[in-house]
Order: sequence, then structure tokens, then C-alpha cells
Amino acid sequence: MEITGYTHKMAAHCESGTITSLLNHGGMEITEPLVFGIAGGIFFGYFHRMKSFPFPTFIVRNKPGKMRTNIEKRLGASFKTYRFNDPARGKEKLDELLAGNIPVAAQVDFFYMDYVPSWERVHINVHYMVVTGKDGDQYLISDSYFPRMVKLDSASLEKGRFAGGTMSPKGFIFHLGKLPAEPDLNRAILKGISQACFYMLKLPIPFLGIKGIRMFAKKINDWPAFARDTEHLSHEIMKINILLEDQGTGGAGFRYMYATFLQQAASITGKPQLKGLSSELMKIGDGWREISLFSARIVKNRDLGPASLKELGDKIGLQAGAEEAFFKSLSKAIR
Amino acid sequence: MTEPTPELKLEIKNLIMSTLSITDVNPADVDDDAPLFGGGNALTLDSVDAIEIIMAIQRTYGFRIADQNLAREVVRSVNSIARFICEQRDLQNA
Repeated sequence: MEITGYTHKMAAHCESGTITSLLNHGGMEITEPLVFGIAGGIFFGYFHRMKSFPFPTFIVRNKPGKMRTNIEKRLGASFKTYRFNDPARGKEKLDELLAGNIPVAAQVDFFYMDYVPSWERVHINVHYMVVTGKDGDQYLISDSYFPRMVKLDSASLEKGRFAGGTMSPKGFIFHLGKLPAEPDLNRAILKGISQACFYMLKLPIPFLGIKGIRMFAKKINDWPAFARDTEHLSHEIMKINILLEDQGTGGAGFRYMYATFLQQAASITGKPQLKGLSSELMKIGDGWREISLFSARIVKNRDLGPASLKELGDKIGLQAGAEEAFFKSLSKAIR
Repeated sequence: MTEPTPELKLEIKNLIMSTLSITDVNPADVDDDAPLFGGGNALTLDSVDAIEIIMAIQRTYGFRIADQNLAREVVRSVNSIARFICEQRDLQNA
């Protein structure tokens, strides 16, 4: 059995791609960058050794799950959500929804997605994809990272849906409830931008937003003290490249996707200045890409001494200045 | 779409080799259609090299490859890079 009328599309990011697919299937014409921007997806946070992060790390987007709830708030769409303790009950509900011709988004641990080559699979409990049908023991999966629809056996899907650990999915699934008759895109876009500016410029927390980028720039020099050995430090520095540039970020830490959002937002809101800001953010994205490449290069050359880390920190510091100026201009542009 | 010329393909091979400081490979030995990554070509590159090439394409031809799905397709081979450049030039001239 396969959901009728569902069209598989690739996307830059799993959560925004999944939400876009469900909205498109429900009849709303909206692009992934618009979903990302309206949901206030762009962000920065630096976590310098906390309980849940034994080694410093950073994020470049808002909290997983927030995109869905922000889209509900700002677009007036609604999603029905379900969470389970019992895997059997979770499977039963999924099958029931599929039998009702409803595409269902699921949160899974990426590691158990057998259609991904084994060398690419890592444990990430917040991967999203859409289940679009069932054929015997095989589920049909629309995973936005793949060029075509794939199949996954029920045991692997269950392992993915009920994996343990931080941010464990607990069988979480959701599907589109209702769509607004006339979505107010203009208002939703301005709300999304306003939130992004507030979070980047004004959160009174020293490790979030622009302050977080500055903290990252300074604290990267301390990373060797936390590493077990050079191998461990190499691995952690390489993660900078992965977090900024690897699949799922839309490229250069989501900055390119947000720039595309601003370009589309300019014509919808009739604010041409957003187009100029889009070009500015593309350049900031290039800066993050340089940092990503620089990190990978020093790992490859085993050049992880204090001078290299200082240079890396200086490059990150420049990004903080550029992003601060950018978000200030963006904030003015929507007033 | 304008078809990529042999001159453009040679230019791309030279760009890749100068960007990655590869001096021990003859451009003529690089297969235009074979994957640049994972073996099977005179050039055997890795994911870090891929970002270097993406940035070199932007610097040299002025075309930014922001989308990662597109990036994977573009840097697959010399031919795919050449096709991307021709497509972008056609779009610019349209």
C-alpha cells in the first residue's frame, strides 16, 4: 500500500524538508527555505563543556522539533503528534494512519536507517523522514537526503523509532492536521525574521547567538586541554567541518538556506532590502565555509598547534562581527 | 545547454590540480567521466578536497554551489563540473 499523490523531493535539511513535504502534500505551495525562515531556523549556540556535552560543541540551528511548532504558530497549520512507550502500540498507530492514506513523519535514530550506506550512518536521534506506505514487512520511506523513495524493514524502523539515549525519539510521529484557508505568509515571514534577530542579538545568555560565536572564537584555544590526545583533538576539530558543511545543514551552517529564504521573502513582503541582505548573508556563509575548510585542512595536515587554533579563533571572531552587523540590518529592515 | 569543450575540461583539470597542489598527475590521464572520489581515476580525492574544489569553482568562475545535494552532483567528475559551468553561463546569458 502506498500513499496516493505523495511526491518525493530532496531537501537540504531533514526537519525543514519533512515539514515542507507534508505541507506540499496537503496542498500548500511552500518552499523549504520559506519553511526554514518562517520557523526561525537560523541560530548559533556554543556549549563549552556542559553535562550533556563532555567536549565543547556548537549548534547552527534552533532546537529540533521547534520548526514544526513555530510553523504551527506562524502559519496557522496544525500537526497531530503521537509519542509512545510501547513499540507495538507505536507500530499499530503508524499502520493505522498509513491505511488511512496519511503520510506520517517520524523521528528516528539515523543509525538504523539501513538504506544509508553503513559508513555514513551515525547515531543521531533527531533525524526526520516521512513514511509513505507499506509493502509486507517493508515500509516505504521518503527521506529528503535521498534522490528517490527507499524501503526499510519494520525491525529497523522500530529500532530507529525507539532508540535510547539523549533526545530519544520515543516513537514520535506526526502528520498534517489542517491547513489554514488563507495563510498570511507576509506576517509569518516577518515574525520568523523578528524571532531570528532577537535570538541572535538579544538573548541574555553568554553562549547563545552572536555572544556564542564570540565565546566559540575565544574558547577554541582551550580545546587541546580537554582532548585525551591528538587523535581526539583532530576528531573534534574535524567536527567543525561536519557541523558546518555536512549533509543536513544546507551548506555553511544553514546560512545559505536562510539567504535563499530572504531572497524569496523579499518578493512576498515587498521589502527589496531583504534581497541585498540575502547577498550579504551568502558572503557570511562563504566565511563559514572558509572556516570549515580551514578546520579540515589543519586536521589533514596534523597542524593543530596553538598558532593554527588562534588563526581559527580569529576567523570565527570575524564571523561574529559580520553576523552582528547583518542581524542588526535585518532587524531594521523589517521595522 | 552549451556542450562543454575539451578546452574547458582541461582548464578544470588544471584548476583541480593547482588548487590541490597535485604535480605528479598528467591532466591527459584524468578520465573526464570517472568519479573523482573513491578511486577509479588518476586523481583520488577526499571530502576536504571537495570543499576546496567547490571554493575554487566559485573563485574562478563566480558560481557559488550553496546546495549540498547539488554540490555532490557537481564535483562527481570533470564532466559534471564542466556541465555545471556551461549551465550557469547559459543562465547568465539568457
